[in-house]
Amino acid sequence: MRWTLHRVVCWLSTLGGIVAVCLLLVALAAVCHLVFVRYVLGASAIWQHETVSFSLIGATFLGAPYVLMTKGHVNVDLLDHYVGDGARSTLSAAASLVTIGFCGLIAFLSYHWWWDAWAGDWHNESVWAPPLWIPYAAMPIGMTLLTLQALSDLLSASRFTLGPDAPSDDRASANTDVTREGRGPSQPTAGGSDG
Amino acid sequence: MGELELGGLVAVVTVGLLLLGAPVAFVLGAVAIVFLVAVEGVDALDIVPNVFYGGLDSFALLSIPMFIVMGGAVASSRAGSDLYEALDRWLYRVPGGLMVSNIGACAIFAALSGSSPATCAAIGKMGIPEMRKRGYADGLATGSIAAGGTLGILIPPSITMIVYGIATETSIGRLFLAGLLPGLLLTGLFVAWGLIQARRPAGGGSTFRAREVGYSLREKLEVLPRVAPFLLIIAGILFVLYGGVATPSEAAGIGAVMCLALVIVIYRMTRISDHWEMLRASMRESVMILMIIAAAELFSYMMSTLYITQSLALWIADLEVGRWVLMAWINLFLLVAGFFLPPVAVILMTAPTLLPIIESAGFDPIWFAVILTINMEIGLITPPVGLNLYVINGIVPDVKLPTILWGALPFMLCMVLAIVLLCIFPQIALWLPDTLMGPSF
Repeated sequence: MRWTLHRVVCWLSTLGGIVAVCLLLVALAAVCHLVFVRYVLGASAIWQHETVSFSLIGATFLGAPYVLMTKGHVNVDLLDHYVGDGARSTLSAAASLVTIGFCGLIAFLSYHWWWDAWAGDWHNESVWAPPLWIPYAAMPIGMTLLTLQALSDLLSASRFTLGPDAPSDDRASANTDVTREGRGPSQPTAGGSDG
Repeated sequence: MGELELGGLVAVVTVGLLLLGAPVAFVLGAVAIVFLVAVEGVDALDIVPNVFYGGLDSFALLSIPMFIVMGGAVASSRAGSDLYEALDRWLYRVPGGLMVSNIGACAIFAALSGSSPATCAAIGKMGIPEMRKRGYADGLATGSIAAGGTLGILIPPSITMIVYGIATETSIGRLFLAGLLPGLLLTGLFVAWGLIQARRPAGGGSTFRAREVGYSLREKLEVLPRVAPFLLIIAGILFVLYGGVATPSEAAGIGAVMCLALVIVIYRMTRISDHWEMLRASMRESVMILMIIAAAELFSYMMSTLYITQSLALWIADLEVGRWVLMAWINLFLLVAGFFLPPVAVILMTAPTLLPIIESAGFDPIWFAVILTINMEIGLITPPVGLNLYVINGIVPDVKLPTILWGALPFMLCMVLAIVLLCIFPQIALWLPDTLMGPSF
């Protein structure tokens, strides 16, 4: 049962990752349109700035669970190299609890915040004035999924919680692509941030 | 408890939680919330979602994923190999030309991709075997590429500089220009050291073999059309930025589209799966950085609300230590932080707190960005994080990690020398932005 839950959470995180890539493409298209409108047509931009910001926010919150699942959030794994297996498991569990605590609290707080925007019919203060509950929704959804992913990782990493028929590599069953991706948590991808 | 003691406690708790191995973003956010609630009460939580979301609600942030996509497109094509080949064809007659080609290719590719590990991988795959074949010592061959790869975070367009610009609200165009001459200075220092070493017997000088084949002018010219468009894009980005024609996000967006178009046209990268893989990797990288940015906003809000940042700046001002002693301590702190954390995380965690201190000591924040970035470059070739060392080790597994580390050490000293030179001659960083964009004050 727990195993199925883990697979469902991994599947949802992967879906979030796909949506995040699409949102980045939306932001890319919007900024190109903005450049065309502003510099070629000489007109003023109306919706593009907000579309870019909202897409980026959406990509960040909805893509974050996938990044957690694929160990892409940078951390300091210094102690891992110097402690035994038992202590490493304890450290890993404690680290997961920090993630669960923070993400869970933000999910809870942001749900209320989103609800206020929905119930109060908040709109952005601009010419376009889009309703704010749409971009705000990314935060409770993403942070809830982040909490679930961290919780699911913690449970599946614990040998006490694995059933007798659980496969040895939990990620492999959820998403084979992820194992190829897997890299040290302190090693960001070669895309540019580390620069 | 006073603000300074509280600040000390924040530092201890943050380091403690980071050592547990929790992601940097969530540690920053968790520490911020714990201290806000502990000091201000539960009511302080009301503003937390607003601040966390607000950290991302900026058009300027778009430049980060767009430059990452741009670098990803270049890194996933054969542009690195062409660049290496172009430089090699033009420089093969120059004594030690291979070393110059390698470091030059690193500098240019690093500027294009904005990524140190991508540069090490792209140039190292060709450069290291070729250098070893030609009799260069293993340490020199691997160390030069590891160090050359770090240039990517200094030479524009640099993600690290964008993050600094956003964290400290300084001009990204000015930061880019400030990184250019120090980047060239570092490249020059690397080349100089590489050439000195290559001529010594221990560096391979005694067994150094000349290239057996030559290149005709036609062969030299034919590789240029594949490389020149990428260089023109970089030049174009810098031009529109310093000319104030477009914002960094607009320039980055157009740059990303143009690089994507070029890899399709020049390198025939037409398979959807290749593009998807590149976009997925770019998304992971971008989300990781953006999440730290959002959490760092919460962290800065906590530090400011609890009056820790301001008290720390006042305290340091009251210490009346010499400004250069202060700078030496800050450098040491950044160096140690860079040993354990990637550049973006160090900048987001420290820049908002360090900036008031730097400014009150009379240092230029643009100049400081260059110093900070070179410090971060050192972290990329020193353990335990030392990302470039591991990338090189992955390319040539038969060369042991300590050999790469020892090979990279002299290049690290070149970076320290560059920091010293920049402290003595700050105009190396400031002349170009001041000349092209006017003085900052």
